[in-house]
Parts: sequence; C-alpha cells; structure tokens
Amino acid sequence: MTNKIVKLSTLLMLSALLAACGDDGDTGPQGPAGPQGEAGVDGQDGADGADGQDGSNGQDGSNGNSAVYTVQITNLTYSQPFAPAAVILHESGFHSFSEGEPASMGIEIMAEGGDPSMVITEAMDSTDFLDAQNSGGILGPRSMGTELTLVVPELDADDLRLTVTTMLVNTNDAFTGLNAANVSNMAVGDTKTFMTVTWDAGTEENTETATTMPGPAASAAGGGGEAAGYDVVRDDLADAVRLHQGVVTSANANDPSREGCKRH
Amino acid sequence: MKFTKLASATLLSLATISVSQAVILDVEITNLTQAQSFTPRLVIAHDDTVDAFEVGQPASSALAWLAEAGVIDDEQNADSSGANFEALLGPVDTDNGSNTWHRFGGLLAPKATLSYPFDTMDKPYLSLLSMLIPTNDAFVGMDSIEIPTEPGTYTYYLNAYDAGTELNDELNSARTDVVEAGTGNALGGYGVPGVAGGGAPTRIVDLGTGGTGVAAQVVNGEIEDGEDGPVHIHRNALGDTDSAAGASDLDSTVHRWLNPVARVVITVPAS
Repeated sequence: MTNKIVKLSTLLMLSALLAACGDDGDTGPQGPAGPQGEAGVDGQDGADGADGQDGSNGQDGSNGNSAVYTVQITNLTYSQPFAPAAVILHESGFHSFSEGEPASMGIEIMAEGGDPSMVITEAMDSTDFLDAQNSGGILGPRSMGTELTLVVPELDADDLRLTVTTMLVNTNDAFTGLNAANVSNMAVGDTKTFMTVTWDAGTEENTETATTMPGPAASAAGGGGEAAGYDVVRDDLADAVRLHQGVVTSANANDPSREGCKRH
Repeated sequence: MKFTKLASATLLSLATISVSQAVILDVEITNLTQAQSFTPRLVIAHDDTVDAFEVGQPASSALAWLAEAGVIDDEQNADSSGANFEALLGPVDTDNGSNTWHRFGGLLAPKATLSYPFDTMDKPYLSLLSMLIPTNDAFVGMDSIEIPTEPGTYTYYLNAYDAGTELNDELNSARTDVVEAGTGNALGGYGVPGVAGGGAPTRIVDLGTGGTGVAAQVVNGEIEDGEDGPVHIHRNALGDTDSAAGASDLDSTVHRWLNPVARVVITVPAS
C-alpha cells in the first residue's frame, strides 16, 4: 500500500516536470547553416534593361500588442513607513525569495536598508522577467501609493506573476509584498486585491535598537539613517526567509531606541 | 541511475493505479514560524458529523491532549487511551464511516516543509491539527475545508489557536522548582501546567528558567492549572528577554509568531 502511494506521487512529480519543459514555440533554436552551393558557370553580359515601375506601398507592419497593468500599494500599518517598493511582473518559475531559503543579496539590501534596486536587477537576470518599476518614494503609514504602470507583451498575459517587495523601515529586516502572486488572464477592467503578510529576511538579528534600523523611530532616538541600514553580516537566528514574528517594542522599553514608547 | 529506474517502474505500474478509484491527495505543510516546531500532524478526512475543533466552542479532551501534549493516539501515550483523537475517531488508516485519519509523525521544524500522500476514502472534508511547541496549549488548525474535486493545486493558510484548556504560564516544563498547585505534580504534558516541548531537537534556543508566570503566577513554588477557553485565536506567546528571571521562560525575540503560522498545499491528482 505504502509503495503504491509513493509511486503515484513520483509519477505526479514527473509529469509536472514534463509539462514544465514545453514552451510556446516562439523562440526555437536557430537551425544549422546549410552546405555551400557549387559555384555557377560565368554567363555572358546582357543588354541594359528598361527602368522598372515604382513599387506599391508596403503593408503596415503588425505591432506586438501590449497589456498594460497598474499596481497600487496601500500601507495599512499604524506606524511603519514603507521604503521604495520593487514591483515586478514576470512569468511563472521565477521567485525573488523562498520561505525557508536564505535571502538573496538583493532581498537583504532591500529588507535591511530599504533600497529595492537590486531586487529588480536580480529579476531582470531571469528569463522569466517581463517588466518592473521602482516606486521610488516612501509610502507613509495609513496611506495609499500612486498607481505604477507596467507593460508586458499581451501573449505573456496567460502566465503572469506579480512580485512586490518593500521594507517596513522601523524594523531590522522586515518586508512585506507578494511572492509571485498569480495575475494571469485578467481581462481589461479587472482588478485583483491581495492582503499581504510580513516576512523576516533572516539576514539581521531583530535587535530593534536605534543603531540597526534606518527609519524615523530610530532617528528620533539618535540612530537611524543609512549607517543603520544594510550590513553585510548575517547574524539572525537562522539565515532563512520566514514570516515575521512581529516587533516586540514594549519589552525593550529601556532600549535607547525608545521603541517601547510607541506602537509600531 | 537510481532515479531513472524508479521512473520507468512507475510508468509501468500506471495502468494498475488508474484502475483504482480512491483519491490520494498530496498534502504539503510548511511551518512558517521562526521558532515554533509542529508536533506530529493529525490529518482527518471526514463528513459533517466530525468537528475536530470549533472556534468559540470548548475543546474536547482529544483536542486538549493534542494541544497540551501533542498526543493523538494510544501509541504515542498510553495514558491518553480513551480520551484522545483515536478514541474519538476510530482506528487509524481505516474507513470509520464518518472519517479516516492518519498521524504523520516526526517534528516539523521551523521554516521546514513536508508532504505526504493521504487517502481520503471519498470523505468530503479535511481537517489538520498540530501542536506548536514550545507553548502551553497552542495548535495550528485547519477546520473542515471542503476537499476540492477538480484536479489541481490548492493553497491554504492556517492560524494558531489556543485550545483554552491550560493557562499560558509559559513556564519551562523541565523545571523542578515549581509544581502544580494542589497535586504537587511535576510540570509538563497533559493536564498539568508548563510549556511542553522545550527539549525538542528542533528547538532554536533553549528555554529559560526562573520565570514567575505569565497568565498564571507561581505562588510558593506552585502554579495553578486553569482554563482560558473556549477555543480562540491564540494571543501569542509574550516571552521576555531574561532567560533566568522575568515573567516567562520563553524569549520574546525568538518564540513569538504572527498568523498565519502554516501553509498547506493540497494537490488533487488528475484521475
């Protein structure tokens, strides 16, 4: 009985792999060059011909149709500003991060210091990448961001994923967003809403001290700023992305960051 | 090489398998917390007469055994005989009419993922329960989702609940300087106070000692084993940052969590 079950699950994994091997055929490999032909016999020079007629105008070329998407982020927190967000559209198969796995350097820099640009360049290195935007500004607590516009080829709209990452800046290395959320096959006028969870990048210990967090809470306590952002050292409990456990704040009421004085 | 052999063997047996009508789900569970391990998982396929837990309702003795001690059946703990989920549901891996269930053994470490094949025996609903350790009586629960019939992959996020059968004293059950009030019993396990599972091999840090109690206080070396039911969303461990004193023997920078605490991905095979 047990054996049978194991076999079945193996079969499923195999068929999934097979399906993943197919592509849409748009980009087949170039064939090998054909053999060189034999040299022809030299012909006699002919008489000059009459001028030809003007050709007719060519037909308009067909543009590849584009699908345009707008993305808007709302900050639902009471007192956590969001750092600039990386907003990425891509095909399935790419992940900026995976729970239980160590974060990439792009995720680490984004989650500790707020700069999402390397998250975007990492995505651009993937063959599944389609388009991306850096929201560029801070999104304050309890506010809605501006609409960002992204454009992808329409023929990719049937297999479309949305990844968003943005740091919660009054933290050591917390970030929120979406991990390859499925937005395939949306019709014109459709909207989709996602509530997001908060991850811990696992790259920095959650000390919640003023010297280790870049945001305004740390600045108010004499720390913050760029120096308190990205640090190459990975000193968290485990070097792995997981859901964030929340900031402790009040338990650190005597800490110089005065995090305990406010709720974040 | 080995893999190739297995693959061809599987293809050969395809005909045999497709004759069978039973739906065997693939149930994948991921522990999303940073420092809470999951005890052996109870997975139940059932009809509408079975309800492993219900938010707002008092916990059964079976749920108390699972949430306080991680115990599902007699094999794990003979003392639970007659009061555990095995007693409530019937024999394991059997079509018990209203249900069939299985215990998927071992601890599921923080951030880890495991997947299992599970034969639903054509029951319409699925529930899944597992204790979070180290806690007093927190468990992660999936409450009677309708099992999808269309082949595909379905994702669910699960919350942590408080069984309400034990006060969240957050005291290390390995301590010998505190006993249960009235009985003098040692801490830990079912029916006595203290957080279970601090010695689990998957623990991230060792538990502290010397805590004076969080939702119940140590008085003269004794701690009360009260109730805070019915079943409700767990309000999280409190912890503190002093491993030798303070209120709690848990660490507030380590043992806390936010919902959801688990992700379950169910794959319904093409029939």
